[in-house]
Amino acid sequence: MKRSTKLIARKVLNSFITLMLVVMLNFVLFRMMPGNPINTMVPNDPKIPQEYKEQLIEKYGLLDPLPEQFVKYLKGVLTLDFGDSFIYRNTPATDLIVNNLRWTLLLTGTSSVLMIVIGMMIGVISAWKRGSWFDTGSLAFSLFFYAMPTFWFAMMLIVLFAIELPWFPSGGALTIGADFSYTLDSIADMLKHLFLPMVSLTVGSIAAFSIIMRGSLIDVMTEEYITTARAKGLKESHVLRHHAVPNAMLPMVALIAIDMAFVVGGAFQTEVVFNYPGIGWATVEATYQLDFPVLQAAFFLIAVVVIFANLAADVLMVYLDPRVKLG
Amino acid sequence: MDHKDSSKDNMGRLAGVLRAMRLSEPTVEKVLLHRKKTGQIWHIFRSNWVGMLGLAILMVFVVMAVFAGLLMYIFSIIGGWEDAYGPFDEVAPVGAGIEPSSEHWLGTDIRGFDILARVVYGTRVSLEVGLVATVVSMGLGSAVGLLSGFWGGWKDEVLMRITDVFLVIPWLVLMIVLATVLPGGPSVTKVVLVIGVTGWSSTARIVRAQVLSIKERAFVERARAIGAGDYYIVRKHVFPNVFPLVFANSILTVALSILSESTLSFIKLGPDPTQVVTWGNMLQDAVDGYAIINELYLWIVVPGLCIVFVVLGFTFIGYALDEIFNPKLRKR
Repeated sequence: MKRSTKLIARKVLNSFITLMLVVMLNFVLFRMMPGNPINTMVPNDPKIPQEYKEQLIEKYGLLDPLPEQFVKYLKGVLTLDFGDSFIYRNTPATDLIVNNLRWTLLLTGTSSVLMIVIGMMIGVISAWKRGSWFDTGSLAFSLFFYAMPTFWFAMMLIVLFAIELPWFPSGGALTIGADFSYTLDSIADMLKHLFLPMVSLTVGSIAAFSIIMRGSLIDVMTEEYITTARAKGLKESHVLRHHAVPNAMLPMVALIAIDMAFVVGGAFQTEVVFNYPGIGWATVEATYQLDFPVLQAAFFLIAVVVIFANLAADVLMVYLDPRVKLG
Repeated sequence: MDHKDSSKDNMGRLAGVLRAMRLSEPTVEKVLLHRKKTGQIWHIFRSNWVGMLGLAILMVFVVMAVFAGLLMYIFSIIGGWEDAYGPFDEVAPVGAGIEPSSEHWLGTDIRGFDILARVVYGTRVSLEVGLVATVVSMGLGSAVGLLSGFWGGWKDEVLMRITDVFLVIPWLVLMIVLATVLPGGPSVTKVVLVIGVTGWSSTARIVRAQVLSIKERAFVERARAIGAGDYYIVRKHVFPNVFPLVFANSILTVALSILSESTLSFIKLGPDPTQVVTWGNMLQDAVDGYAIINELYLWIVVPGLCIVFVVLGFTFIGYALDEIFNPKLRKR
């Protein structure tokens, strides 16, 4: 078998195993924690009629032996059925999460592109002008924001740009009561609401990219082929653009996958502070209400997305960098 | 020059003391060697201004944590207050925050607590959570990494797949789920546990990689050839080589743990603000008390800045240690 095929097969297998472990963890966390699983799978609210509770116990088979419960749970996972939300009765938990997904994708998508582009640009300039005031200044600047809790930075943005200078709305994804349509006004409204959350998510993560890019580029600049390129009489900017930067970008691909976990964490915090109706906001609301089916669905779906993103980055790396090794 | 002479002098004195304690000559040599090594590391560290800045920042907060009561007492004398306020003393009317004044330098929150007192005392639990959670996650990570690297084979596979799960799931999502499903209300112990259990995976990876490379070195082979057991090899050869790495890594983990605590507290999964005070739950309290709308900005700004500076302090030190332990990164 070809080396790359073997490598990819191995990566796919590993991702599959990780996925299976997540499925198991999701079961263990919600059904086997000390205390009665009925407490986590059935709303513990005296206002809810006993009949409904018994229906739920019946539905999930919470009194059955664990292996049987597990089989039932697996069937649920395969059909993406984690039960109905405790709070929004008759709404499947999965629907609730998927509904909110578009706002999270909008927020994380735009922010990720921005943080990667800005981070790389700062990294390249820092490496090129190593030791200059720009290098030191940008490092200090990006580390300062990197050290900040995202939610706190978001709160500061609200104080500065929504209250003291009322330029942007302080929360929500659209003006209250408005529905999104493809009109200019609606799009403008959406962008206006997106701006502050996007900034709060982007700025803190720039450091991760700029520092790695800088280090990687400095490393590449010491390679012999760079000396060769210079010796051929190529302009410095040409060497940088066509010889150094493309090779220095390799570690970035791996970093983007790793950083996804942090972007999701940041998005959670940002969404909560801005009441931005994405998955993070829904998940945190679910913890306040002890809405376990929603929590379970969110945990599973987020894990699946992240595992696939990691796999994609791994596979991409195999093609981009022939030095990637097994293991 | 002075410094070198005095350090040599100290060494001589230390050797004298150790000999007077009738320790065997090899033991004395070992202690002296160890002392010299730490001395060298400290010497390199001292020349790294980023690291020293980080250390200085941390010292300020450590003093604040240890001498919180004394500090508030000194402030009360300077400010001419009636009393040195504690973090849970209701010193103002409940329900409305007071603007900063000579009596309350940072004002009070809507529970009637003095914000300065809460920030000063909050240092304690915030640092404590950061440190203990780090010990938990470093312990777990080192154990898994050591065993995995040392055993190899299918056991290694199993451990690494489990590590992958923890590596890949976004930390905040895992923390939220853990903190919600674990029995018992929010408490400091629970927060420490949740952060520790969430954060060990990258340490396990690093330790495993290091163990794998050490295992193949000639000195381990030699030790084995003269009959050394697994336990002996781990203790004498593997651990001393892995430890510096774990240590440098743990400094950064403290910073992350403090950030994690504040985030967990912010989404109301941290300790109860009426029982324990941390910077994180102060911020959550501020949100609950509509600090933004009531324009009690200091209530948000000060605890937040404390978090930023502590995290920066640890990051700077970690950065400096990384340069010391990974000589490749040192400027050429």
